[in-house]
Amino acid sequence: MAWTEAAAIAFPMCLLYAFVCMASWYLCRAIPLRETEILRLAGTHATAALLCSGMWLVIGQALAVLLDATPYFEGIDERYLSLLPTLFLSGILLFLLAVSFNYLLIMLEASRRSETRALELQVQAREAELKVLRAQIDPHFLFNSLNSISALVMADPAAARRMCLLLADFLRGCLKLGSEATIPLIEELRLAEHYLEIEKVRLGSRLIVQREMDPECENCPVPPLIIQPLVENAVLHGVARLLDGGTVRIEARRNGAFLNIVLENPFEPEGSSRNGAGLGLKNVKMRLANLFDGKARLDVEQTDARFRVELQLPCGRP
Amino acid sequence: MTMLKVVIVDDEEPARKLLREYLSADVDIQIVAECANGFEAVKAVTDLKPDLLLLDIQMPRLDGFEVLELIGREVDVIFVTAYDKYALRAFEVHAVDYLLKPFSSDRLCEALDHARKRLAAREQLPVRDLAASARSGAKVERVLIRDGSNVHVIPVSKLDYVEAQDDYVCFRSEGKRYLKQQTLGEVETALDPSQFVRIHRSYILNVDRLARLELYAKDSHAAILRDGTRLPVSRSGYARLTAILQ
Repeated sequence: MAWTEAAAIAFPMCLLYAFVCMASWYLCRAIPLRETEILRLAGTHATAALLCSGMWLVIGQALAVLLDATPYFEGIDERYLSLLPTLFLSGILLFLLAVSFNYLLIMLEASRRSETRALELQVQAREAELKVLRAQIDPHFLFNSLNSISALVMADPAAARRMCLLLADFLRGCLKLGSEATIPLIEELRLAEHYLEIEKVRLGSRLIVQREMDPECENCPVPPLIIQPLVENAVLHGVARLLDGGTVRIEARRNGAFLNIVLENPFEPEGSSRNGAGLGLKNVKMRLANLFDGKARLDVEQTDARFRVELQLPCGRP
Repeated sequence: MTMLKVVIVDDEEPARKLLREYLSADVDIQIVAECANGFEAVKAVTDLKPDLLLLDIQMPRLDGFEVLELIGREVDVIFVTAYDKYALRAFEVHAVDYLLKPFSSDRLCEALDHARKRLAAREQLPVRDLAASARSGAKVERVLIRDGSNVHVIPVSKLDYVEAQDDYVCFRSEGKRYLKQQTLGEVETALDPSQFVRIHRSYILNVDRLARLELYAKDSHAAILRDGTRLPVSRSGYARLTAILQ
């Protein structure tokens, strides 16, 4: 058989069968691998393979007969017939191969979809967690504050009223700011201010607050309630555990494209374990990692009796 | 009518004020002291021998439970706190009551009634069971020792060794000796076993202080500490020590 002859019949036939095999995709979609029983699966595909291969050969036969009519390809018909069993078998095999390949593709796609879905779910879960974190107000802070109010009501009604207002401002601030994406630094610090004022009523002269704020960074956007947990740590795990109290120092400074916030407080090195202090820091770290993708830092430094955290956030020119 | 001598212990001034105000309505209550921390509380209990302590839990340096551990069962206690998580422990140390801040004066009256009833019945509980049960498995980070009205707080890392002396144990730290009424067995269970080893019937050693071991008779060793102190090591103590050091 000459190569021209082979090309004349084989090329159209290959092309044709390629389409047939591709069409098996629809069959594979119609009977998914996992949801179809094995017998039906095997039966359907075997039947389809037999049918397709058979029909293909019939068309090939027709082509051979047509070509046979031309003088150049004379005798092609017989030669085609002699190849029939081989062609039939390869037709079936090719079809089954195409089916397996299609199933593989379907599976790959499904696994990629489920992976994306899992990632999406993870992101959603993290966001939900953050919402909870932001809305989190330590209930003991409330109980202690209410107790202080209860104490002040008789002795100093004006102070009791002031405490109520401070508490209301703080709670409203937490709720409002928690729902925003970013807030100006000044608002975050104002919230901390309310908190510290309330704690001052409780702790009295034991709590001293010192602020150093560069007016330039007042309007730097920061994630809401990112500094508040650090301030709470400084009070609850630092100053409140010291017999004579101490000073919480808050410093906000601009450093090129970054905003630096430093919180410093003394702590009791021989106090009972500092349980809880780590959790607040961990949460802040996690939020920073989520929001700034490695461009923000939280450094914790602990010397003999001083605790210092430095928060560095990217902050574009206002 | 007998007066009930009460000491108020809370590190927050408003909280003390509130208790004082509530208590002023009771004619049989005499507030003998107001304390802003645990040390003052221990001193007040020693000096004034009150009947009842109104005790906050979260306080600087010494918390309410540690105060109780130091003063033992000399006095009844009502805990006053914003935290409900300590209620079970309070129950374990036989507190008269547990008040959650903020509380009403009626609720305080109720607690005081409990205290009066208990005082009338004079049910005294053994001191030691109490401190031990309050610990329930957790290892101590520091040792509290009461010396008259003073309190010494020794971090366990600064302990050299502990020695049994009759009814007492003697804690050695930085060249000083502190006596506490306790058994060596109790001390042993309270300390971290990977750090402190019972080397002898009468000694517990901080393994960090060990310089070397010497054989000084058949089957018996001596531990030489960094500062040159020599302590006897029993045969079973030697086995425990070598197990830790490996």
